[in-house]
Amino acid sequence: MRLLLAEDDPELSARLGRYLGRQGFAVDSCTDGVETEFSGREIAYDVIVLDLGLPKRPGLEVLANWRKAGVKTPVLILTARDTWQEKVQGLQQGADDYLTKPFNEEELLARLQALIRRNTGTVGETLSINDWVLDEATQSVSREGERWELTGIEFRLLRYFMLHPGRILSKSRLTEHVYQQDADKDSNVIEVYVNRLRQKLGNEVITTKRGQGYVFGKPPP
Amino acid sequence: MNSLRSRLGFGLIASLIVMIGLLWLMVGQSVKVLLEQQMASRLAHDGEALLGGMRIDVDGRVLLQERRIQGIYQQPYSGHYFQVDAGGQATRSRSLWDAKLPIPDVAAGETRIGYVTGPQQQPLLFWAHGYQKQGRVVHIAVAEDLLTLNAGFAQFRWQLAAWSLAMVLLLLLIQQYIVIRSLRPVSAAAADIERLEQGEISTLSEQVPKEVRPLVQAINRLLDRQRQRLHRSREALGNLAHTIKTPLTLLQQLAREKVAGADPATYEQLEHYSRQINERVNQSLRRARLAGDGLGAGRFDLRQDLPVLVDTLHRLHRERRITLHTQLNGIITLPLEQQDGMELLGNLLDNAWKWAGSSVSLTLSGPEPLTLIVEDDGPGVDAAAMQSLAQRGVRQDENLPGHGIGLSIVRNLVDEIGGDIAFSASESLGGLQVKIHLGRRT
Repeated sequence: MRLLLAEDDPELSARLGRYLGRQGFAVDSCTDGVETEFSGREIAYDVIVLDLGLPKRPGLEVLANWRKAGVKTPVLILTARDTWQEKVQGLQQGADDYLTKPFNEEELLARLQALIRRNTGTVGETLSINDWVLDEATQSVSREGERWELTGIEFRLLRYFMLHPGRILSKSRLTEHVYQQDADKDSNVIEVYVNRLRQKLGNEVITTKRGQGYVFGKPPP
Repeated sequence: MNSLRSRLGFGLIASLIVMIGLLWLMVGQSVKVLLEQQMASRLAHDGEALLGGMRIDVDGRVLLQERRIQGIYQQPYSGHYFQVDAGGQATRSRSLWDAKLPIPDVAAGETRIGYVTGPQQQPLLFWAHGYQKQGRVVHIAVAEDLLTLNAGFAQFRWQLAAWSLAMVLLLLLIQQYIVIRSLRPVSAAAADIERLEQGEISTLSEQVPKEVRPLVQAINRLLDRQRQRLHRSREALGNLAHTIKTPLTLLQQLAREKVAGADPATYEQLEHYSRQINERVNQSLRRARLAGDGLGAGRFDLRQDLPVLVDTLHRLHRERRITLHTQLNGIITLPLEQQDGMELLGNLLDNAWKWAGSSVSLTLSGPEPLTLIVEDDGPGVDAAAMQSLAQRGVRQDENLPGHGIGLSIVRNLVDEIGGDIAFSASESLGGLQVKIHLGRRT
């Protein structure tokens, strides 16, 4: 899951980035409005955390510009501004959720996960596809009573697969959604991790579509 | 007399009456003078005719040629009289009978015109002249009854008065029309101000006469400045919130991360105090943001603002499928500034949304006083909590069970705005009912 974190306070941004990283997100941070608008427009994030009080360009304007440009990424507004007028404005400009500071990190995480699930059309609190159950809290996966611990990258990769079951996902798309902006983007690494998942969970869990990419579960006919 | 209209009306009536009255007097006087001058010149003709037809004998007696005397002077008390005196015995017209007119003698070559009382006590106008004839001074006086002339003149004066009065009335009507017509823009501006106070408009129309325009423009400028000030202060408060809340977030997160595990008791305290800071700050900010009467700031419009708010609530609580039943009873605006209304209704409905099972109802009635009832079908609030909520000035940090904080926010808002709030069990839905009376402060 690739996440854009737009927060102007460097300390909060760093803490939150580390926290979300531990929770399996690939986090890109922006500290001003102009940069945020550019990144949100250019990169296909899975979710965006947006502070309204950004320097250079106000968050609401950034959000309005994204929606005008057709960026459909779910946006959670994270702000100190807690009047109803501002909530109404934020949601009418196209935000999907609104959380006011001070906030609890767990609550932010829960809301982000709910947003992602809603956006990918998955329902339910835990992610469960073809008997595979992904536990986001422990970053592990289980099937018929058996459990496998996953490393950070493995978890991110499997979650992305499970959120898009039955669909062909190209290596470059997987790279984009699993890695942070500044990470090494060698797409061969994806192959390595897909193989690791296969070793752990069995070969049939991910199918290779030659020249196109990978499919979680049964490939489309 | 604090009405422009009655002031103008009174001034115009007074000046009109004085003007027309003076005119009436002047015209009357001039006509009278003209008529009497005419009469005097006729008398002078008759006097000169008398002089032409007279002779004086050696005793100074005046002999008149009967045929040169007009018949009117021969009839007794006809109203036309003369007397001629050449120093001896005076000769009088037969019409005078035995009476004598007390007209003083006039020196030769001089004329006198004046009034005298006639033989039957009627007023007469006389013309008297002194002539030099046959070496003697002849005094000729001719007089005529003024009764007919005076009667005619009186009638003329009445007619003139009637016409003047008619004219005054007509002019008054025209003036009233003009006054009303010229004051209409002022009345329109007054109506505009009324609508401004009702929150129907936010600026006054400047399509007014030149004389009133500076006033209207001044009011508009003032309103504009007030709006800007409100906007700026809200902006500043938002920034203040931003600068406080971010470090507060960090404080809480650090406490949770570093202290919670090692020293749970201290963590509890840290958590408690930081929550207290947050809630006190929120309460103060919320109070400072209120616009109050918000003259010209635009009211909360139920047709525009409510649907947007409800849509926002649906989006914020997407997992809760709540149906809102609204009964607005024809009420279009709340007597609250738009953001104040948003804050009150937002908190009120958000609270109901959180606790409701499946439905929330909003009922309005009014407008004087405007009553707002929000009910839900949730678990409700127990009697103790309700009592605690009913007290004024309940602090938000005294975490109440159940509905708790949301309702104490609402309670404080209502106290600040100026209104009454009551909590009870909802009869129709079974949950909590919050009833608010909003008093329009004048």
